[in-house]
Amino acid sequence: MSDPRTTGASRFAEDARLPDMLYARILRSPYAHARIRSIDTSLVPDSCVILTGEDVRDLERYGPQIQDQTVLALYEALYAGDPVAAIAAPTPREANGALELVFVDYEELPAVTDVLEAREPGAPLVHETARIAENEAAYFEMRPQPGTNVCHRFRIRRGDPEAAFAGADIVVDETYRTAGAQHVHMEPHASVARWQDGVLEVWTGTQTPFNVRSDLARVFHVAPEAVRVVCEPMGGSFGGKTFVRLEAIAAALARKAGRPVKAVLDRSEEFQTLNRHPAVVRVKIGATEDGTLVGARIWCWADTGAYADSGPGVVQKMGFAAPGPYRIANVWVDADCVYTHLPPNGAFRGYGQMQSTFARELVLDVLADRLGIDPVELRLRNVLRDGDVYATGETVHDCMYGECLQAAARAVDWNAGRRGKGLGLLMKGMQTPSRAEVVIEAHGDEYIIRCGATEMGQGTWRTIALLAAERLGVDLSHVRVEVPDTNVVPYDSRTTSSRTTYVMSRALDDAVRDLHAGDGRRGHGVVVIEGGLDPDTGAGVASHHWHQGAAACELRVDEETGRVEVLRLHAATYAGRVVARAGAELQNEGSMIMGLGSALYESIAFADGQVTNANLSDYEIPSFADLPAQLTHELIEKPGAEIHGLGETALPPVPAAIGNALKTLDVEVHELPITAEHVLNALERQVPA
Amino acid sequence: MSAAPPEWLTPSSLDEALRLRAERGDDATVLAGGTFVAILMNQGLLTPAAFLALRDVPGLDTIAIDDGELRLGALVTHRAVELSRVVRENVPALALTFSVVASPRVRNQATVGGVLADADYASDPPAMLTALGSRAVARSVRGQRDIALEELIVGHYTTSLEPDELLTEVRVPLGEHRAAYRKFRSRSHEDRPCVGVAACRRPHELRVAVGAVAERPQWFPELCEGEPAEIGRAYAAAIDPLDDIRGSSDYRRRVIAVEVRRALEEIAA
Amino acid sequence: MRLTLNGEAVDLDARSDEMLLGVLRADGLLSVRETCGIGVCGACTVLLDGAPVSGCLVFARAAEGREVTTVEGLGGDDAVQRAFASGRAFQCGYCTPGMILTAKAFLAETPSPTEDEIRVALAGNLCRCGSYVKIIEAIKEAAT
Repeated sequence: MSDPRTTGASRFAEDARLPDMLYARILRSPYAHARIRSIDTSLVPDSCVILTGEDVRDLERYGPQIQDQTVLALYEALYAGDPVAAIAAPTPREANGALELVFVDYEELPAVTDVLEAREPGAPLVHETARIAENEAAYFEMRPQPGTNVCHRFRIRRGDPEAAFAGADIVVDETYRTAGAQHVHMEPHASVARWQDGVLEVWTGTQTPFNVRSDLARVFHVAPEAVRVVCEPMGGSFGGKTFVRLEAIAAALARKAGRPVKAVLDRSEEFQTLNRHPAVVRVKIGATEDGTLVGARIWCWADTGAYADSGPGVVQKMGFAAPGPYRIANVWVDADCVYTHLPPNGAFRGYGQMQSTFARELVLDVLADRLGIDPVELRLRNVLRDGDVYATGETVHDCMYGECLQAAARAVDWNAGRRGKGLGLLMKGMQTPSRAEVVIEAHGDEYIIRCGATEMGQGTWRTIALLAAERLGVDLSHVRVEVPDTNVVPYDSRTTSSRTTYVMSRALDDAVRDLHAGDGRRGHGVVVIEGGLDPDTGAGVASHHWHQGAAACELRVDEETGRVEVLRLHAATYAGRVVARAGAELQNEGSMIMGLGSALYESIAFADGQVTNANLSDYEIPSFADLPAQLTHELIEKPGAEIHGLGETALPPVPAAIGNALKTLDVEVHELPITAEHVLNALERQVPA
Repeated sequence: MSAAPPEWLTPSSLDEALRLRAERGDDATVLAGGTFVAILMNQGLLTPAAFLALRDVPGLDTIAIDDGELRLGALVTHRAVELSRVVRENVPALALTFSVVASPRVRNQATVGGVLADADYASDPPAMLTALGSRAVARSVRGQRDIALEELIVGHYTTSLEPDELLTEVRVPLGEHRAAYRKFRSRSHEDRPCVGVAACRRPHELRVAVGAVAERPQWFPELCEGEPAEIGRAYAAAIDPLDDIRGSSDYRRRVIAVEVRRALEEIAA
Repeated sequence: MRLTLNGEAVDLDARSDEMLLGVLRADGLLSVRETCGIGVCGACTVLLDGAPVSGCLVFARAAEGREVTTVEGLGGDDAVQRAFASGRAFQCGYCTPGMILTAKAFLAETPSPTEDEIRVALAGNLCRCGSYVKIIEAIKEAAT
């Protein structure tokens, strides 16, 4: 048995080659905030094509939710790493050499690099105005706060938490800070762009082909039909390869050069392109003596960096998932998406929900401790059940939160003793609203599936083929899924939010119906998922269905050095129905391991706004040798249930489980990652003088 | 912007290598395994005019026992030290130290001479070699000289080697001893050391060397007396550790006290 | 410069300041991947005289006269390749060639490894997709 991944036959976006192709390199601002006074390109050899702000001034601003990005910085660089110029040369070596011959005269300007400082009135403004995008990625109403760095504010207003606190027996109010993180997809960002007869073609690693198409069309003033996006498989993405990344620069260079241009980032640039939102989350929860949660007041401040990207959406989710899967009658949430002069932050596995879940789950254990109630018991008393109404006013169904929680607790022998053990429970939304389409073409016994689902290691093409084969009643070997090419596949919102298996299963149902209803040669299926929230009250339908999961861990600490050793880690995720078992297991395992990294190791370090650990030795992801001795998980299924995506679910509860386990060892954590130094400091605070 | 590739000099004898070294000095970057130089080149931090590649120089890649000493040639790889029966039987702590460096890939390529000449502070072997009382042998057209390990590394990425010298071997005294190396990582198992403690007790001498906390391994002969905990505290007070991504100065100081004590407990008589 | 590449004697162009990774990719061996530049991730692992090294850290000229093996040279039906394929020990597949070559060299030296030995031996090969659990199972399978 063989597979292209084992034989070296796999090809990724970075392997794309076209005849006559040039190689791009980007010149980036070293300053967090600076005026670009002049750029001297006189020494760049004629064999190279050089692009500066002058060349792209005629191009449109873009951005999936707020249109605050230009192809290159025009007048000011807004973060250390902001692209200021770009070179295309016949070889990468020449491009590197030419880059050193471009001289930029900068005038440094005041920079704001902390989210709590940036949100203050009077802080230097990163952008003067916020122009809201009008495209499908801006699928909710934005609330930029004029005269501030807040580019979106999401609120939930339900009941009266302050009144509830007044009547509560106990109120806990704690604040937590989570660091930024890097996706570290092993394959870097890579895009090849070519213009031919007024048509722009881009071969790129992206999860969002149709968004990239519509934004590129906008940037270059052409019709969407004049832009073709082809999505080769990605060597990982985890949210990093979303929306326009390198494509606009590659296309602008290709336009000027009259030749195809390939842009690939080096590892240090990956830390200056798109990261995960650092956040400060304050959670105030009140309860009665018997453990009933009566009110929650939550504030989230998310640092979106110098460009909003999908920050507003991330913050909306951070906010609407913040209360968690609990019956709380009075909930107010304020989630602000705040600009800073740091690299942009955007989609990252978990999509904002790790940050707020961490804070809330730790507060629940503080409550449990003060009330003298077991943390599992406290949660079970309040956990959402079918028919309950959530903080958004929507009625929830298919609730398996209690089951996930109890499964996780069982896995670490919760009742045998609690010391060193902790757990966390997640309620996560799926992109709502959205739209998915699929076309099935029959060629004799063979079927071709065309859809916009992009492959980044989650195994989606295999899963979609399995779903199609099931519905067509044929063997898997008779079904083939095509590489997404926006010229030949129908629309799909994007491959994010763990939505794809679910929506494509429904779109395929529709396509097979259509196929059989017609001449049997072609079927076109469409599914539209409706919903959405009022950004000022949080009322509406946040998620068509919810992703549900729990994690539990047992750990010990070296009390003399603060090193944390996770002994066992278990995730219980609700899958509804598993389609491709091996793939589902890999997604759970991978999410848990990424969660471990977020919990213990991963943090982007800055000095004067510059990333100081932009390499894989100074920024560390978990290795084989970091795995807990026991890493296990389960996929909970229920007959007749909907398929639930699993791409992210097992990640967010892991840092919460670890934080809560440490609490039982008298280590109170208020930050992620939980470094050995933090643990040692916390332990030493416990020692009486 | 120079497009011409650097000269690739491959002397086939030590004499020829020393002659080229004397002629070119630091204009020709010495290549043993080349891992460190490759990293600098991949990051665009080094554009040498020439390479002085030692791969064809015979006699630099042997491990032998000679006259009461273990001799490690400068081109001996980390992996060879790790797996060598001679090293494991005679100085097991040294085999262990080389075995915990980086990954098997790096250990297959990086050399004994290279790790010392690079003088990277976040490194394991220098501390252990210092605690073992080793010396480096430097040769030049002018002759040969021995450099005690504690005098070899003088600063960040800086050794006391002259521009015309090549490090050709390291000599480790044998004889009865108990030694330990503790590599303290503050993050992933794959991390470089936050604190590295090497301890070696011989019949008449105890040496403790702490690496990865300052620009050079820290050895205080006058503090190597007393109970393990006392020595640990004394070392922590005597060292002014640096701050880096793996730990703050203050954190390192606390870990030094603990890990020195633990290393000494491992080799307690 | 002459070397033996996947069993064949070849003559490749290599500048003195080029690494083996670039030369192999230029020769069409795209399983050897370029990403971290500092030899810590393992995506550019090749076997040099049977021993795993980082292609990004080996000077191309230093490989002169030696044997280089990439996953393209394993024939597709190698025991380790088969164990990875049947055990689905990958997600995106980017790190897989490096994993396979490292595992091959490791099993040649340690034919009956414990799980702990596998973890430590492979620890220098990073997988961000987090396929570690299934990779360990595949290596155990290949060892039998």
